[in-house]
Amino acid sequence: MFSAEPQQSAGSKKAPDLSTRKGRSVPELAALSVVLVIMIGYFSIASEFFLRPDNLLNILTAIAVTGILAIPATMLLIAGQVDLSVGSGAAFAGVVFAVVYSSQGVVSAIIISVAVGLLAGMVNGFLVTVVGINSLITTLGTLAVLRGGTRLLTDGQTAVVNDFTFLGTARPILGIPLPVLIFVAIAIAAILVMRYTVFGRSLYAIGANPVAARLVGIRTGLILFVTFALTGLAMSLGGLILTSQLSAASTNAGLGLELTVVTAIVLGGASLSGGRGSITGTMFGLLIIGVMNNGLVLLNVSSFWQDVARGVLLILAVSFDRLRERINARQG
Amino acid sequence: MSHDNDELILSATGIRKSFGGVEVLHGVDLHLRRGEVLALLGENGAGKSTLVKILAGSYRPDAGEISFDGTSHAALDPILAKKAGIAMIFQEIADAPDLTVAENISLGRWPMRHGRVDWQEMRRTAREAMELLGGTDIDVDAPVRTLSIGQRQLLEIARNVSGSARILVLDEPTAALSSSEVDRLFATVERLKAAGVAMVYITHRLDEVTRIGDRVEVLRDGYLTLNEPVSAVDRAMMVSAMIGREAGDVERPRDNPDFGEIAIEAESLTSGSVFSDVTFTCREGEVLALYGKIGSGTAESAEAIFGLRGLVTGSIRLYGAETTAQSPFTAVRAGLGFLPADRKREGIFAARSAAENLAAPSWPLMAKWWFLSTAREFAAFLRWRTDLKIKSTESPGQLISTLSGGNQQKVLLARWFERQSKVLLLVEPTRGVDVGARADIYEILRKTAKADQRAVVIATSDGEEVVQVADRVIIMDRGRITSELVGDDITSGALALAVGN
Repeated sequence: MFSAEPQQSAGSKKAPDLSTRKGRSVPELAALSVVLVIMIGYFSIASEFFLRPDNLLNILTAIAVTGILAIPATMLLIAGQVDLSVGSGAAFAGVVFAVVYSSQGVVSAIIISVAVGLLAGMVNGFLVTVVGINSLITTLGTLAVLRGGTRLLTDGQTAVVNDFTFLGTARPILGIPLPVLIFVAIAIAAILVMRYTVFGRSLYAIGANPVAARLVGIRTGLILFVTFALTGLAMSLGGLILTSQLSAASTNAGLGLELTVVTAIVLGGASLSGGRGSITGTMFGLLIIGVMNNGLVLLNVSSFWQDVARGVLLILAVSFDRLRERINARQG
Repeated sequence: MSHDNDELILSATGIRKSFGGVEVLHGVDLHLRRGEVLALLGENGAGKSTLVKILAGSYRPDAGEISFDGTSHAALDPILAKKAGIAMIFQEIADAPDLTVAENISLGRWPMRHGRVDWQEMRRTAREAMELLGGTDIDVDAPVRTLSIGQRQLLEIARNVSGSARILVLDEPTAALSSSEVDRLFATVERLKAAGVAMVYITHRLDEVTRIGDRVEVLRDGYLTLNEPVSAVDRAMMVSAMIGREAGDVERPRDNPDFGEIAIEAESLTSGSVFSDVTFTCREGEVLALYGKIGSGTAESAEAIFGLRGLVTGSIRLYGAETTAQSPFTAVRAGLGFLPADRKREGIFAARSAAENLAAPSWPLMAKWWFLSTAREFAAFLRWRTDLKIKSTESPGQLISTLSGGNQQKVLLARWFERQSKVLLLVEPTRGVDVGARADIYEILRKTAKADQRAVVIATSDGEEVVQVADRVIIMDRGRITSELVGDDITSGALALAVGN
């Protein structure tokens, strides 16, 4: 009774209703905004090309596919689950599309590719929720299986896909590439789902305490299964866009993408133990990665260094998260 | 008590401590004599844990001094505390589950011979320590993971005693123990006393103070409100020192004893070897207790009704309709609400707000066209906050983990009120809740039964609780119902007798 009061009175005087929520989430996004602004500031001074509109669109295009995969992956991580198979899932869906496309035409190819992605997600979901294998292990397994399957289907060769450029390169509105529009639309939908629907709330609840979630009547297995399936759909979409952008399905498409996805999510403030995080945060994480990669290219920094930078960024993000948790814990 | 009881081995005087400008200890004294059990009582937040953490060297006091072995210190650090022979036994036991009992007892200081671990010596030390504590039935070569909670606690004590601790601080050691394990723990405490070890025994339970305490100190809001030999105090004195007002003996509720129609009927519930042939009914407006030791089948029966445990045979009817809850999801939809015993691990969503914690089961009802309005969640929270006297800030967005245990428990109860569940299954509803909030919760349960015509089924191992809250009690032992008491026949004495048989 008494114990909670000293700590409360310290910060609660000026805090009616909503402000405590903001009080918690603003510092996370504030720090990210500062990092983003500093990076943008630095690159715009260092390179005259950086701030040009077409370069800014380049940045968005470069993160579109990663983002489409990162959105359902954020939902999963909020629920305490990881999906590492997104990169090879996208590659697999792309190759399936290419193979079917050459013999059956574009409609069947899209349908089958989407079905295959969905199936991959459902297999992940089944293994995690019904069989009960830890999601990290499950998707580490399917990561390898899907990548292997990708190479088997084309015997390791890149499959050329002609006349399927619309999805990846069209610019229907204000010259903005279609993948960017799709990405933004999905992001907005996901933000609404996570904030205002029972489904979204349930994901947060499951991540915060899976046992308690079950005891309040949430169908935890079903909800996780559906989210894995959605991630599968995102793999198909990502794979199709990649294939369309390159006019080819490469067996190396999306290689290492899972790490970029996890980096973006963690940068955005999601906790690896679940229960915390947001789609908006992931958007910031993606922007930071996109700006950094683009800026380093403009400055002619070797792509090997880009990997190093991304790794450093991930470690910094997690360290910052730990630090903040420790400070919060001290404040009670 | 054959020892020289006047030998003071530790004394702390005038201890003050503030956190963030708020003083939580206002000049508190604590004296310990050899072979003495000092019971430290107080509600949550009274300053008990701050005080013992100062003794353990984790916190530095702002004022006061601590002396032992003839020297005074302004503060202890963990090394000094160890030198003073102070060891803390926490509720959460920090052993290495895959190592053996013997390895755990000597953890970090394994005996060496010729540069190798001396297993013989290690086993001998372990057996000696266990013998001292009365734990001879524990196999020192068994992996710790195979022990019961009570055995593990004994091990934890053995580990510290064999590391030559002279002062043990036991922090609510009986919270998770069955009553036979409690008996055994108390026997251990007696043995340690005889060996001259002094103990600070932190507890909520008054009957434990009278059973094993030599002296009792009560803290309230950071002040020492009572410091007397146990033989010189009674229950009422301790309670009033703790809560700051007069409190009579355990009283029976005095409200309307009228019940409505039968809300839930359980018939011949049997679940393997855990419980069998459990039959009871509970009417609207009735508070029914299932009373028994931990593991006697009371909590397990409640779990089975809520769909958490398979039934071999038996049927459950809600308002006359056959129900078979396959999962909590169907149980909640059928009108059941469930409060688990372990609040932290199974009850709360620590990282989420109080309002969300309260609203979670009602989300499907609150949503319109899939969309859930935060405003409705907040409104629900604020309504129950007033009704149930939940002490929190004005903000429904406050994290539930920043509330005290009693207030968290009120939020978890309000969950099912908001969901309008007709039948509540509550397992150990006041475990880890301080005395003041406990009284609030009993009042809430009585009120919801009478005013809202809910059927309230409580599975509990706390006899006082039964006396204070139940209209009727079913007593269980080893998975079977043994007897039943109704109304004013429910007394502590009658319950003790019923369980003793």
